[in-house]
Amino acid sequence: MPTARVYLDHAATTPVRPEVLEAMLPYLGAERFGNPSSAHWFGRDARAGLEQARGEVALALEVEPPEVVFTSGGTEADNLAILGAGLAARTSLRPMLAAVATTEHKAVLAGAHAVHALGGQERTIPVGRGGLLELDALENVLDHRPAVVSVMWVNNETGVIQPIAEVASRCADRKVLFHTDMVQALGKIRATLAGLPIGLATISGHKLGAPKGIGALIVRKGVVLEPIIHGGGQQLGIRPGTENIAGAVALGRAVTLAVAEQAAEGQRLERLRNRLAERLRAAIPDLVVAGEDAPRAPHVLNLLVPGADSGTMLMHLDVAGVAASSGSACTTGAVEPSHVLVAMGLRRDLALGAIRFSLGKETTEADVDRAAGVLPEVVARSRRVSEVLGG
Amino acid sequence: MSGGVDSSVAAAALVEQGYDVIGATMKLFCYGESVPDRPCCSLDSINDARTVCQTLGIPHYVINLEDRFSRHVIRDFVEQYSQGRTPIPCVRCNSFTKFRDLLTHADALECDFLATGHYAVAREGRLYRGADPAKDQSYFLWGIDRGVVARMLTPVGTLTKAETRAHARRLGLVTAEKPESVEICFVPDGDYVTVLEQHLPADAPALTPGPLVTTSGAVIGQHEGFARFTIGQRKGLPGGSSEPRYVVQIRPESREVVIGGLDDLLGHGVRLEQVNWLADPLGPGDACLVQVRHRAPAVPATILDRDSTSLTLALASPIRAITPGQSGVLFAEDGQVHGGGVIC
Repeated sequence: MPTARVYLDHAATTPVRPEVLEAMLPYLGAERFGNPSSAHWFGRDARAGLEQARGEVALALEVEPPEVVFTSGGTEADNLAILGAGLAARTSLRPMLAAVATTEHKAVLAGAHAVHALGGQERTIPVGRGGLLELDALENVLDHRPAVVSVMWVNNETGVIQPIAEVASRCADRKVLFHTDMVQALGKIRATLAGLPIGLATISGHKLGAPKGIGALIVRKGVVLEPIIHGGGQQLGIRPGTENIAGAVALGRAVTLAVAEQAAEGQRLERLRNRLAERLRAAIPDLVVAGEDAPRAPHVLNLLVPGADSGTMLMHLDVAGVAASSGSACTTGAVEPSHVLVAMGLRRDLALGAIRFSLGKETTEADVDRAAGVLPEVVARSRRVSEVLGG
Repeated sequence: MSGGVDSSVAAAALVEQGYDVIGATMKLFCYGESVPDRPCCSLDSINDARTVCQTLGIPHYVINLEDRFSRHVIRDFVEQYSQGRTPIPCVRCNSFTKFRDLLTHADALECDFLATGHYAVAREGRLYRGADPAKDQSYFLWGIDRGVVARMLTPVGTLTKAETRAHARRLGLVTAEKPESVEICFVPDGDYVTVLEQHLPADAPALTPGPLVTTSGAVIGQHEGFARFTIGQRKGLPGGSSEPRYVVQIRPESREVVIGGLDDLLGHGVRLEQVNWLADPLGPGDACLVQVRHRAPAVPATILDRDSTSLTLALASPIRAITPGQSGVLFAEDGQVHGGGVIC
């Protein structure tokens, strides 16, 4: 077993940052464990922490604090956005229709399926070969007056950046509610909601140095959502349940840090990612970079290796001490090519040879050099196996 | 690692012996078609294997061999039934998938050995019966390449099932009390006809009605497709006879299923094709023991003739229900597997 392991799977999750851990710890111990709904001192202390965290998230995203609804993570926030808007349409004159891009995260796609299962409809909006949303198709979908349109800001598998301002304004022009999953955008590219007609936005803590189990849905003033879980009146009834204060505090701190550091960190990651890409291209000339022609976030490099197999490469990378992914971690173990790559019109055999490296805060030049050093042999082995077993 | 107790204990034993072990689960077919949006990796058996590896502190990988398994095992399974035979897919899986395709992956990982939870014993390049006569699985392993035996590790082969479970309990493995799986992995609830229906056209002769005939040629009824029958079967035959009646032959070209008495099931010889040797080949006149079905006793036989891929055996005394498609496995007195073939 190699002594040092290299983690290049930050789009899957990240370690909790020390500053974040420090900020959240008091809310787990005897000091500030209170229930923020309680009327006593303990409750008030907890509430103060919660509201400060809400304020931090709001400030970083340039929205108002009451517009921040804490959730258990990105999946719940996506579900609340799609299902919440879909269900709310039942009491308006809108069709109960959710329209989502084909390259969305499963949390959004499955949310749209759920709208369908509950008696509504779902539609998908295709992307072109580069991975960018087809704007004509968006217009066609808008003709159906959907209850919500959802397009992710930065794709988690390819890093492709959608023209979110353009998409949001086209939705606004047609008076259609727009949601964006900005989990992979926050802290990686300049992404705030200031001045943009974005009604709903999802963020997640564990992708930027907060722990798993905390995220938020930004619900802009005037947007009506039906809650998808029911309980007490916490968070204006949109997301009842005693708040995860420590998580919220962590999220507030992590988002603040990520946004403050974004400009410098984005440049640093881009340099590292380009270094990795260049070295690998030199060693593996027929390598294809997914979404190469589109604007991409700096932390993701999705490589398509002709003649190799994702699962085999990941296994060999793991044995060599390099952690990567074949795309969204949720589909690991299944044999289907990534739905994102298929939606981009990539050949199935190319899509089956996808490897995603994703960089983060603690990634160093030595890390990417290690990956660049290891991958050519991993590719060679996977190709040998595929040659024997593929024929 | 199937997620069962045997392969779990095999892995555990090797970890204890100081081997550098990698756990691998072969993904052989898709469980998930009826469960959209749920990856197959959430399946319990794979999770059990993963949990065991976690307990043992070793890596675990799911290796996708779906296409290969479909081509070499499922397709053959369907074809054999179409020809009126009764195949053993586990033999094909061992020969083609586990000890060949998986080995290709093991080679790429620079593994010296391929370990298995089979109740059989590989020792010095030779393969023997497992120590537990009730669990012995050497019958299913005759088809692997002889050279592979030297790279096989069979840690549970020398144990009884009870000992295997005791090991699993001692180590706190989640699979310790897991019930035995006796089914063919890709045939849910033992309903193999449904699998055939999924893979064959609706008008496939094997699944369309044909005559039930006696050994003297009299038609006594109709059946719903000869693939539903195997040699020696009593179930699904018309009653009304004083003596018990059995399927004694299947004639795919005329779709006839032949019914007869116990005596009609007796065979005096066995012909094997696709013969494979795990020891130096035997030749005409050589004596051995032959086993024609899982759990059947091995009986004395003499080789009559043989060429590179087939051989004929004369049995010292007749045995019942020698079934085309099943395996005929040749053993030495000490339990060593000489080789085997497919009964034709």
